[in-house]
Amino acid sequence: MKPDDKASAGSDLSSQEVEQTSQETKISGPSYLTVTNTLTSWMFTLDHKRIGLMYLVGVLSMFLLGGVFALLVRTELFSPIPLITPLFAGDDAGAQADLYNQWFTTHGAIMVFLVIIPGVPAALGNFVLPLLLGAKDVAFPRLNLGSFYLWMCGAAFFVYVLFSGGVDTGWTFYTPYSTSSPTAVIPAVVGVFILGFSSIFTGLNFIVTIHKMRPKGMTWFNMPLFLWATYSTAVIQVLATPVLGITLLLLILERTLGIGIFDPQNGGDPVLYQHFFWFYSHPAVYIMIIPAMGVISEIIAVHSHKRIFGYRYIAYSSVAIAIFSFIVWGHHMFTSGQSTMMNIIFSGITFSVGIPSAIKVFNWIATMYKGSINLNTSMLYGISFIFLFTIGGLTGLFLGVLSIDTHLHDTYFVVAHFHYVMMGSALIAFVGGLHHWWPKMTGRMFNEFWGRIACTLVFIGFNLTFIPQFVMGSLGMPRRYYSYEDKFQIYHQLSTIGSYVMAVGFFLTAFYLIQSLVSGKKAPMNPWGGNSLEWHTPSPPPLENFHGVPSATDPYELDQFDYDPVTGNYSSQSSKGLA
Amino acid sequence: MMQFLTSSFQSLATQTGPTFWLPEAVSNFAPTVDGDFYFVYWVSIFFLVLITALLILFMWKYSAPEGQKATSQNDHNLVLEIAWTGIPVILSLMMFWYGYKGYVAMATPPANAMVITAEAAKWSWNFSYPASGTVVSGASEDFNEIRNALRSGELTAEQAAEREAKVLEKAGLHVPVNTPVQVNVLAADVLHSLFIPAFRVKKDCVPGRIGQLWFEATEPGVYSLYCSEYCGQGHSAMHSKVVVHPSQEDFDKWLAVAASYDETLPFTELGEIVWKRKGCVSCHSLDGAMKTGPTWKGLFGSERKYTENGTLGSAIADESYIEESIRYPMKKISDGYTGQMPVVKLTDKEILWVTEFIKSLRQ
Repeated sequence: MKPDDKASAGSDLSSQEVEQTSQETKISGPSYLTVTNTLTSWMFTLDHKRIGLMYLVGVLSMFLLGGVFALLVRTELFSPIPLITPLFAGDDAGAQADLYNQWFTTHGAIMVFLVIIPGVPAALGNFVLPLLLGAKDVAFPRLNLGSFYLWMCGAAFFVYVLFSGGVDTGWTFYTPYSTSSPTAVIPAVVGVFILGFSSIFTGLNFIVTIHKMRPKGMTWFNMPLFLWATYSTAVIQVLATPVLGITLLLLILERTLGIGIFDPQNGGDPVLYQHFFWFYSHPAVYIMIIPAMGVISEIIAVHSHKRIFGYRYIAYSSVAIAIFSFIVWGHHMFTSGQSTMMNIIFSGITFSVGIPSAIKVFNWIATMYKGSINLNTSMLYGISFIFLFTIGGLTGLFLGVLSIDTHLHDTYFVVAHFHYVMMGSALIAFVGGLHHWWPKMTGRMFNEFWGRIACTLVFIGFNLTFIPQFVMGSLGMPRRYYSYEDKFQIYHQLSTIGSYVMAVGFFLTAFYLIQSLVSGKKAPMNPWGGNSLEWHTPSPPPLENFHGVPSATDPYELDQFDYDPVTGNYSSQSSKGLA
Repeated sequence: MMQFLTSSFQSLATQTGPTFWLPEAVSNFAPTVDGDFYFVYWVSIFFLVLITALLILFMWKYSAPEGQKATSQNDHNLVLEIAWTGIPVILSLMMFWYGYKGYVAMATPPANAMVITAEAAKWSWNFSYPASGTVVSGASEDFNEIRNALRSGELTAEQAAEREAKVLEKAGLHVPVNTPVQVNVLAADVLHSLFIPAFRVKKDCVPGRIGQLWFEATEPGVYSLYCSEYCGQGHSAMHSKVVVHPSQEDFDKWLAVAASYDETLPFTELGEIVWKRKGCVSCHSLDGAMKTGPTWKGLFGSERKYTENGTLGSAIADESYIEESIRYPMKKISDGYTGQMPVVKLTDKEILWVTEFIKSLRQ
């Protein structure tokens, strides 16, 4: 294919081992990675970059764990008769089904609470946000470290749950099943409760940082769009997460004391639980997707070397989504027995969230128009995102339409839809952002050739996994099924094969990223030609982020750079923000 | 124009057999839901193709090696922004409107509908026909057995179909064709959801509430019925069948048979029928396996340890103990169990038969 040829010609140049000679790095001194090197210097660090990196390691480890459970689930579903659960659960059919239920619950809970929610904001955001602002750190560095340890603590609870018999309620903890399940519901819920605080503190930190620490000359409307996205996300985190906390506390009290709020046996109402739960968890969907959109705005503009199209529309649409996200929760409950009037209102409002999402997609595509597109790994993830998010968004329309949702609710169609949004979009953007900022974080370039291969595998595997799920879902296959009718087997088998392809892609990614740490080419200051402030400091940055005080740049003024094929660096005479 | 669109998308969906995307369409709602589905589907396909085509075109046309400058830095176009905001707004409003109309019809059962109650419990269905007071089971256990026997090759496809038909003589959700039927849904323990894909209807069964759905089946036949709200271990095994009878007479005939017991059978066999028909099967095993409730194997005559009002006690499981356990299931909770048994209303005869059946399982 033509574009690939062109792009790989570029990567041949960059694969030559070239010593970095640019003026800036010579004077840079030690980076944040090398300035101190003891264990305690990492454990008690207040440096947002180190904290971001520690989050990254944590999130990626949890991604591996959650991924293993996904593969177990997919492998089991290759056949409608017990396939691998007997290996772990013995001959008892009930125990086999219980085990399967624990697998999908663990997969969901880990991926949502430990991977996707903290993925972009806490891991990438922590590293990038102060850099984008030209700041030395976030507003409250100690709180930031505290958030990280809360995250660790929440993760520890999940690991404990794994070793204490698992939990089988589904990640939604619906009552009254969750109040009667004999599994380790309380430790899991406590874990989520703690993770909620981690999320709230991070959000609070980011709001204050963006308000108070913008550099001279950076108005709201020349902030990089990633900051708009992170800001909108942080607002949701701070406002919505406490509701989850209260809900989970009430769930614990229901289980331990039988207070009778959610359990009908004690006069409670299970539908009330669903309202409380989704009042947080619907906005949480946007906690996951808005920062991902922010990453994509950066990736598409920088790697197209073109000014982002419709800046204000993208910025406002992030805010619009954040606001609308609070008033659509009822669309998770169209068949729950909530009133007809409520269903109609929630259906109507739900469509309002679709519009800002559509606006973003069209603006990203318009950004690519007449750009100079490098089809490198980050950009391929960016383009994959647009395609996958389009499918995720469009299939959401089916679910917003009341009559169709009555049929599709709680089927694999919903499973496929939210995987397109949560994984195909949020997680793909996270991986794309990881590649985009990898040289900045680690000071190393990764292998572009293998990067593109891995991205292609992930893309193909992802679609192969989830497109068949749309079909079987609309044909009537309910979700969370351990066994199924024979007529659905072909779709399950395609899906399982797809998940293996995806797994190969991700393992390959892990492999070449680790390899880049060991023997990757040293990264120049500005390998992609970005103009937001993080590209105006060495890779990796010094402890204090910048030598001197940077002043604001226009983050999307991207045509001022000249590319040096020897160093792989984009430099500009007029570029601002240097010491 | 809305009218025209509605009818043209519905005409895509006039087929009653399963299509690539949708299962059999055999209820009054299926044409509307499928019409809405295909409207959203073609709108989605249009935008997906448009967006994908643009992505591929731009990737191909504007891809460039590192260092090449973009040929334009244009970053706004008001007309475009208005277009790609306005068009989605209009399309969304249309979708909302169609969904709203279809849904209101679904949420409003006609006054003359025949009422059936579906009670979901872990992990079985019971359908009761208030007109005659008959309760029939969803027979999930039987369907699972048949399915497993078919998969292991113990039964051929014909034999399996035969056995299914035999089970359906006394089980399943039965309705007459072209008759409005309202199903009131209840749950005994946790959330469940009644889902009949071929009818495009679904309603959550919420403990402590009575939910309802209604439909008018349009084609005689046998269709799948699922539980679609996660309810634990037996969730995926909690399926049953809907039988649409070709006429009211046919349905009435079935109901008369289903309501009766063949009282010439020995009590133990009648007891086994009750065990299945009343859903005991989902919690009480016959082979010693510990399920939600104690196994019936060796139960009769054994010493039972239990908790009553928080105090421990013990008794020999005799006729009166069993009768009490059936009538007041939460009174004495067997050691090692959490006491989840619902009140299953059995007649005196049924209790007698079940007791005889349990006796027969003495070791």
